[in-house]
Amino acid sequence: MGASRKETPVKYMILIYASQQDYDSLSGRPGPQQPAWSSADFAAMGTFMESFNKELAESGELVDTKGLTAPVHARRIRLGGGVPVVTDGPYPESEEVLASYWIVECDSFDRATQIAARLADTPGPEHVRARAAVDVRPIAESRHELEL
Amino acid sequence: MSGNEAENLLRRLAPQVLGALVRRYGHFDMAEDAVQEAMLAAATQWPAEGIPDNPRAWLTTVASRRLTDLLRTEQARQRREETAARQILPAEWLAPAADAPIRRADDTLILLFMCCHSALSPASQIALTLRAVGGLSTAEIARAFLVPGATMTRRITRAKQAIKDSGLPFAMPTGSERAQHLAAVLHVLYLIFTEGYAATSGTGLVRADLSAEAIRLTRLVHRQLPQDGEVTGLLSLMLLNEARRPARARPDGDLIPMAEQDRSRWDTDQIAEGVALITGALSRGSPGPYQLQAAIAAVHDEAATAEATDWQQIVALYELLLQLSDNPVVALNRAVAVAMVRGPRAGLDLLAPMQADQRITGSHRFHAVRAHLLEMAGDRAAARTAYLDAAGLTASLPHQRYLHAQVTRLGGDA
Repeated sequence: MGASRKETPVKYMILIYASQQDYDSLSGRPGPQQPAWSSADFAAMGTFMESFNKELAESGELVDTKGLTAPVHARRIRLGGGVPVVTDGPYPESEEVLASYWIVECDSFDRATQIAARLADTPGPEHVRARAAVDVRPIAESRHELEL
Repeated sequence: MSGNEAENLLRRLAPQVLGALVRRYGHFDMAEDAVQEAMLAAATQWPAEGIPDNPRAWLTTVASRRLTDLLRTEQARQRREETAARQILPAEWLAPAADAPIRRADDTLILLFMCCHSALSPASQIALTLRAVGGLSTAEIARAFLVPGATMTRRITRAKQAIKDSGLPFAMPTGSERAQHLAAVLHVLYLIFTEGYAATSGTGLVRADLSAEAIRLTRLVHRQLPQDGEVTGLLSLMLLNEARRPARARPDGDLIPMAEQDRSRWDTDQIAEGVALITGALSRGSPGPYQLQAAIAAVHDEAATAEATDWQQIVALYELLLQLSDNPVVALNRAVAVAMVRGPRAGLDLLAPMQADQRITGSHRFHAVRAHLLEMAGDRAAARTAYLDAAGLTASLPHQRYLHAQVTRLGGDA
């Protein structure tokens, strides 16, 4: 393989998770399981996210990033007796569900992992940082890739 | 800024914020509570701290947070009781959208359609409309309708539950369904207006706040549907009636019939606006019942004196109205107009066959009109009895006082 060959950029999805309880403490509400985020913690996270996203955008690697509203607003649809049935708020309060995602386009899984690692180090209260997990997953651009 | 300005702004924003919330998150019932709480927060904070730069965004944010809280509580309760709120999707949600372009309709209008849904009783439609679209608190609505607060709270809660259970999507109805919904909305607005204009019970003849609120809401609909003749007709009808309000009662609250009212006290601005609206609407062709009623009110309002009233034209308009619907109140009013043109006996002849119509004989209006025509015809004894019958059938104190005054005036034994 020639050293001059340019790698085709690949897209990766970086995902972070949070429970309804996490959303609550982020919004300043103390719960039985965890204290509320302090103003300083909250401000530090905001500053971090802003510069993180800005850098990704400037490097040209950011395709899209979005946060999701609190899990209570979710609806789940499944078949019940052959007809679609909706359930509002399908998650228990402590269940961690998708909270935000980034789609990045970069040269390698290693580079995507490097980006994700920075997210794992997001400032916040110690009990949150201790539990925080960030996943990175390569995106399949076609059905063919799914069959690999 | 004054508390009043803040309140007006809040009431204007309330349906917009509720619409935004329901459109984004669903849950009409809880969203409505959330908006009320956000409005309460604003009503206490804004007068003291000033209006935020973007009041609508402020209200939407606070209401969204409250909605999240309410949903959490509700979902936690459901999990405790193992009663997951499961809902079967309406069949039409599963089919591809057949109707062409989905136009982003005005949220306020959609909210009005929801509040006036046929699953609700008229009393519930009125209460919910005043709260969800009018931005009035439950306590204010209870006061306006002279019922205990707890009663009104139950009525509104039941109404919201019924809307939730109906699975009504937050969307503008289309086609004939839309026309039906609009007719229901106009009827509710009309009921709110008449409730304010001639209170059916209690001591105050006019609960002006309700009339003003009905006019404000009808203006809202008119802004959205300026080409709709009946919306225009209803707004005109309200303005032309409201214009006479300052002259309708004596300072002690007693009623003054139109023929005896001091016409210099009628509100000329409202008359001018009402006449302009109805003139424009009538020029666009086949008028509906609200336009015809507005046209009749315009004929009254434009007469410089009671004697100058063009009764011929009023008779003609009532006949058109009767062709549209078999309404005994319309028939009654036509009898009055006919009496003014051809004499009291001609009017009484029209009333005679109505004696068998129980829809109207239970109303004090029928007997009051009959009394009036009998008196015009010179039959004072029969007139007196009819006035007494009328007084026994109204719950409104000013109406009772007026009718008893006629009995006294006609004299004779009790």
